[in-house]
Amino acid sequence: MPETRLLAEIFDKEWRKVEVLIGEKNMTIGKEVVEFKAISDLELTQCAGRECIRIKAGREIYLNFGEKQRSVLKFLAFNMKSDKFAVYFLSPALRGGVLVSDSKWDKGYFSITESAVWFLSPERQIKIPFSSLGSVSKDKRTVGDKQRLVLSITHMEGKEVVTSFILCPETTLELLQEYLKRILEQQKPKEKLSELEEQILTMVYTGLDSVNIESILGISTDELNRIYEKFVSLGIARVVKVRKEIELTPKGVAIVSESAKKLGGGKGG
Amino acid sequence: MVRVLIVDDTAFMRKLLKNILFSAGFDIAGEAENGKQAVELYKQLKPDLVTMDIVMPEMNGIEALKEIKKIDPSAKVVMCTAVGQEQMVKMAIKLGAKGYIVKPFQAPKVIEELKKVARV
Repeated sequence: MPETRLLAEIFDKEWRKVEVLIGEKNMTIGKEVVEFKAISDLELTQCAGRECIRIKAGREIYLNFGEKQRSVLKFLAFNMKSDKFAVYFLSPALRGGVLVSDSKWDKGYFSITESAVWFLSPERQIKIPFSSLGSVSKDKRTVGDKQRLVLSITHMEGKEVVTSFILCPETTLELLQEYLKRILEQQKPKEKLSELEEQILTMVYTGLDSVNIESILGISTDELNRIYEKFVSLGIARVVKVRKEIELTPKGVAIVSESAKKLGGGKGG
Repeated sequence: MVRVLIVDDTAFMRKLLKNILFSAGFDIAGEAENGKQAVELYKQLKPDLVTMDIVMPEMNGIEALKEIKKIDPSAKVVMCTAVGQEQMVKMAIKLGAKGYIVKPFQAPKVIEELKKVARV
């Protein structure tokens, strides 16, 4: 991007207009100069009802570039502080365990920042926060006509589990795998799960609710709740809904009795 | 209603699939824990769709697929694989499998895929 002057909005208690000059190595927001290499995190987000770019460069800055948003994000993603490796990537290759048939290999970079990894190509910039990484392993895939060693990464995208592949020279592949393994190791729960707990985790991943899990495994609500609490305390799950169990008061019983009469057939049947 | 035969050597995986498919309106025609049983049940039950695990004792999913295709060339079989079995999957697709899902899977995507295959 050649030196570009843009009219943007900056959020500082409220949105106000600001001139942004994007240069080769830095951007000037009003009078503040932000070096690209000082940007440690970046994302498209929402702030005070508007889509904007959150830039972390020491402090957090929220900027709205309107129709230029995507091109500025792309430029910053390529130029922020990161380690970049030239790769081919296929993302998403699988979504929820099902092949994404229209996905294509992209030529670009695998970029590692302080808190995320990115798939970068001129067309796509996909950010995967470390906290969204699930697993990393080597896999053999057919690319073109050849069997190639690829790095398979599972990660969360919203509520979906996505598998992406990276194709690069084997030495780079080893390096990336080791690096990602180290990150995943830091996130791993300290305690080993029992077979039952692993089954429950798989069922939650699959999308089954508590009632189904209890019925399939033949366990009580109390036992399942205890295991859920363990998952939450280990940081491998979070609570999205608290289920209530109720019993009827006499008033409730009276309503049921009345309703049973209606269901009984109306004319005394 | 689409009738499905679930084939997997682990009871847990069969239960899991049975549950999500039943919840999505599929009819569970039967379940088998190896390829040999799957072929026998296919003959008896004539299901509309088969979810077939690949690695199983007695007869694996690829052999079972071959046998089922001999019995019914129009059989709709979806392979159920683990990561790292691409070669097996490719072989299965060549042999006439209509699709594949990779374990672990998420219910909405699996249902979408199986409904797509069932419509073909």
